[in-house]
Amino acid sequence: MRLRPAALALWVLSAAWAGAAEVIPPPPAEHFNDYASLVSPATAASLNGQLADFERKTSEQIVVAIFPRLESDSSVEDYTVRVAQSWHAGLKGKDNGAVLFVFAESHQVYLQVGYGLEGPIPDALAKRIISEEIAPRFRRGDYDGGMTAAVGAIMAAARGEYRGSGQTVADRKGSGSSGIPIFGILVFVMVVVFSIRRQASMYHGGGRRGIGGMFVPMIFPGGGGFGGGGGGGGFGGGGFSGGGGGFGGGGAGGSW
Amino acid sequence: MGTATKILIGFLVLVVIAGLMVMSSYNGLVGMQQATDAQWAQVQNVYQRRADLVPNLVSTVSGAANFEKSTLMAVTEARASVGRVQLPAGTAPSDPAQLAAFQQAQGQLGSALSRLLVVSEQYPDLKATANFRDLQAQLEGTENRIAVERGRFNEVVQAYDTAIRRFPAVILAGMFGFTPRPYFNAVAGSEVPPKVQFDFGGAAPAKP
Repeated sequence: MRLRPAALALWVLSAAWAGAAEVIPPPPAEHFNDYASLVSPATAASLNGQLADFERKTSEQIVVAIFPRLESDSSVEDYTVRVAQSWHAGLKGKDNGAVLFVFAESHQVYLQVGYGLEGPIPDALAKRIISEEIAPRFRRGDYDGGMTAAVGAIMAAARGEYRGSGQTVADRKGSGSSGIPIFGILVFVMVVVFSIRRQASMYHGGGRRGIGGMFVPMIFPGGGGFGGGGGGGGFGGGGFSGGGGGFGGGGAGGSW
Repeated sequence: MGTATKILIGFLVLVVIAGLMVMSSYNGLVGMQQATDAQWAQVQNVYQRRADLVPNLVSTVSGAANFEKSTLMAVTEARASVGRVQLPAGTAPSDPAQLAAFQQAQGQLGSALSRLLVVSEQYPDLKATANFRDLQAQLEGTENRIAVERGRFNEVVQAYDTAIRRFPAVILAGMFGFTPRPYFNAVAGSEVPPKVQFDFGGAAPAKP
């Protein structure tokens, strides 16, 4: 599974420093994130693929995060809503995200449902998914089965509510469509700056023209990689990137 | 260009800059005030959601054989008194007393509901019904929503209250009537939205 090692290391480190204080983990790199090695890698990869495909089809961002423990003194419902909000699962304006949190050591589960999915996944259903799909299987030690059933039930409930674009937010970011305008602006600024410089140096007798001439080729080939380079990253594994969705405390929790 | 012309131009430039600063400051305050109104609407939404659950909850619970009548009465009365709190429509309250009255009435409803759930622990048949469990989950989720939206309301109101006290916005705030707005009190007595728990183990409720 592709994690963001640096960010995660920093998070763990800051958790250690802060002691009992609260830690809001950075946004996950994938749709299915098992930071506690609770499920088998094969199941994790399969569910991750299913959730990424689900986002492509429906635009709904359903994320699973399994943590070793709750890094907060606050209650699980209060902590998880703030984490889900900071990850921005779901699209902006649609708020069609949901995050399923599992805390392995304390045996707690919480499904946070974004504003836009509170219709298809009401609290009572969220509660039922946890108490009927997850808890019994987890009690038997069948974590793979529990997560597979839960993800299946969440997708079944949320299916058909929104229409997808065929791409995940991470796909779109990776393909560089958002990189091009920035690159364009950068080029424009460079051109303006250099043409002014050149005019100025010509006005002053051309003494510094050589320096200006050296900078232009140095910057342009480097900049060329900017737009194209990102293309490879987004595809394949899927990858998660929050779309800007909001959470208001909908959902339910339980324990096993 | 004469000296007088230069001074005049300088003066005009200053006036334009000052005008632009006033405009942007004013627009900023308007935006923040709108944000508190929008968040207040969210707060009312989630409280309304809880109030809407009450009739269903009461009818489900009263179906259970000889359920404690006083508990049901308390919920129904608290629900009614919540409806009697009058608040201006569309904007966040600007009168602290008004918000306190709102908070007090909602706090009573919260306590009554929490008590209802505690009492229902003694009725295993009732607890076993799917309808009751769904209502429990909804109530639990609604209490969470209330906590979330209240917290966000306090954040935007605090940002607004701070902004209107800053210089130079404080002058504009006085001129255009931007008054500070009250926010929800932190944990204090019966105003606390009750934490709904289901594993009391028969413990007596803290509040009557």
